[in-house]
Amino acid sequence: MSNEALVNNSPVTEKPRTFGEFISALFKNVYVLYAISIISFLLIWDVLSVMQVLGRFLPRPVEVLYQLYDMLLNPLAGKTLMMHLWFSLRRVLIAFAIAVVIGVPIGLAMGFSPYFNAFVKPVFDLFKPMPPIAWISLAILWFGIGEMSKIFIIIIGAVVPCIINSYNGIRLVDPEMYDCIRMLGGNKRQEVIEVTFPAAFPAIFAGIQISLSMAWTTVLAAELVGAREGMGFIIITGMNQSKPAMIISGMVVIALTAWAISMLVTHAERWVCPWKTKLE
Amino acid sequence: MSNNGKREAKVTVNGLTKKFGELLVLNDISFKVYEGELLCIVGPTGCGKTTFLNLLSRLIPPTKGNILIDGKDADPKKHNLSFVFQEPSCMPWRTVKENIAYGMEIKKLPQADLDQRLNKIMELVGLTESANLYPNQISSSMEQRVAIARAFAVNPDLLLMDEPYGQLDVKLRYYLEDELVRIWQELKSTVLFVTHNIEEAVYVAERILILTNKPTTVKSEVVVDLPRPRDFRDPKFVEIRKQVTELIKWW
Ligand SMILES: Nc1ncnc2c1ncn2[C@@H]1O[C@H](COP(=O)(O)OP(=O)(O)OP(=O)(O)O)[C@@H](O)[C@H]1O
Ligand SMILES: [Mg+2]
Repeated sequence: MSNEALVNNSPVTEKPRTFGEFISALFKNVYVLYAISIISFLLIWDVLSVMQVLGRFLPRPVEVLYQLYDMLLNPLAGKTLMMHLWFSLRRVLIAFAIAVVIGVPIGLAMGFSPYFNAFVKPVFDLFKPMPPIAWISLAILWFGIGEMSKIFIIIIGAVVPCIINSYNGIRLVDPEMYDCIRMLGGNKRQEVIEVTFPAAFPAIFAGIQISLSMAWTTVLAAELVGAREGMGFIIITGMNQSKPAMIISGMVVIALTAWAISMLVTHAERWVCPWKTKLE
Repeated sequence: MSNNGKREAKVTVNGLTKKFGELLVLNDISFKVYEGELLCIVGPTGCGKTTFLNLLSRLIPPTKGNILIDGKDADPKKHNLSFVFQEPSCMPWRTVKENIAYGMEIKKLPQADLDQRLNKIMELVGLTESANLYPNQISSSMEQRVAIARAFAVNPDLLLMDEPYGQLDVKLRYYLEDELVRIWQELKSTVLFVTHNIEEAVYVAERILILTNKPTTVKSEVVVDLPRPRDFRDPKFVEIRKQVTELIKWW
């Protein structure tokens, strides 16, 4: 709400008396500044493009816009932009769901049982720092270039945050949280259900959130190799056909999708964790 | 109170000793709390008041000695105790109403009983309006009221309160002191109230235990035999306050 505060405090609403005041007030309005930011970015981009500072391979913003429009209506490799987006999203959703179903229970078990943790952690620590993309070649050798190998790579990327956050979520519950239920005479089972799970939930949910954006990043990498559809495919096709406008269009859609996903997750959090919401 | 001899002991503390490593905190403490009594414990900062209540509620084990409630070893699983902690202790994921119901749920009260008591106690502490808010949406003094309501709601045989009003402003403290006395009279629980505010102790207590500095023992005991509602300016009140202050001079 800090934006609103900025706007409300700005003298714009106080009816400036002189033209000078009006101008200075205008430049203190956040929304005006947002607009200026975007417009100058596009202008600089356009100038760079027209002057060919980066050679022939920087299209003008309008060309990108046109390319987007074109791909929305006319199929590329048999599919429109929306269908390509759907293919990528579908891979993400399948792999993400599998990663959550595998990762969260493993992390929880590690958090609850020091023995299980000691058993799993060395191997997990070995694999954890490996970027999922490093698995691409192996995945293709194992599963071919079909859906399987892509989903495998995405799972590899998405499962790690689920495990880490579930583990830490359980492990880092403030011990004082238990005092209350203990003094009331609660048993171990009640402690787990009433305290451990709800207290660890925000951390677990944050892990799921990271896992989803991780999945979205990884799907593109997976699609850069041997895909016939998807957002990664659009980018690689743009490269192969020397169509930078196509590449940038793909990038724009990818960014917009990532943004939409994060908005969705934020809303989901408000819904599943209403107790985190502060009243204004 | 002169009739203490006739009252049943609710809590008996025998030679209670607590060490944290080499640090001797409680040194061989013995005393009794009577059934239905409102007993205040005052003592210097860091003398081990919280430690004592933690021992009593079995959150930590004693080094030596024992604590009997109704003649049996204190055990939250058997005895119906309730604790208002020094720090705010609401479950952030439960609403005000759910937090107050928490203790009753843990103790598996029948739903009908639970609802009835819940509504009554929320009315009593003035939280009915805020029933569906979450702890991070209310002020810390309201949060403390939730903890107090939760503690009272289980009709505890023994209620432990650890400087529950320490963080509150004076006006609210006065109000909640009256509220405590009223609820105590109504529910007839045994209350152990820790504070380092002497005036507060004299205002609410039937009897005051004064603790020494570490290693801590019971220094003396003052019976407050004043009619209620009490008045801070009542000469008798002032006299007892002075007496306790004199006794408490650990500086
Ligand atoms: N878990 C612990 N480990 C080691 N020392 C502890 C522990 N808990 C308390 N102590 C020490 O025991 C002493 C008594 O602490 P306690 O919190 O019981 O005092 P208190 O009387 O409640 O103080 P206050 O008035 O500040 O609430 C302090 O010196 C403290 O440092
Ligand atoms: Mg304390």
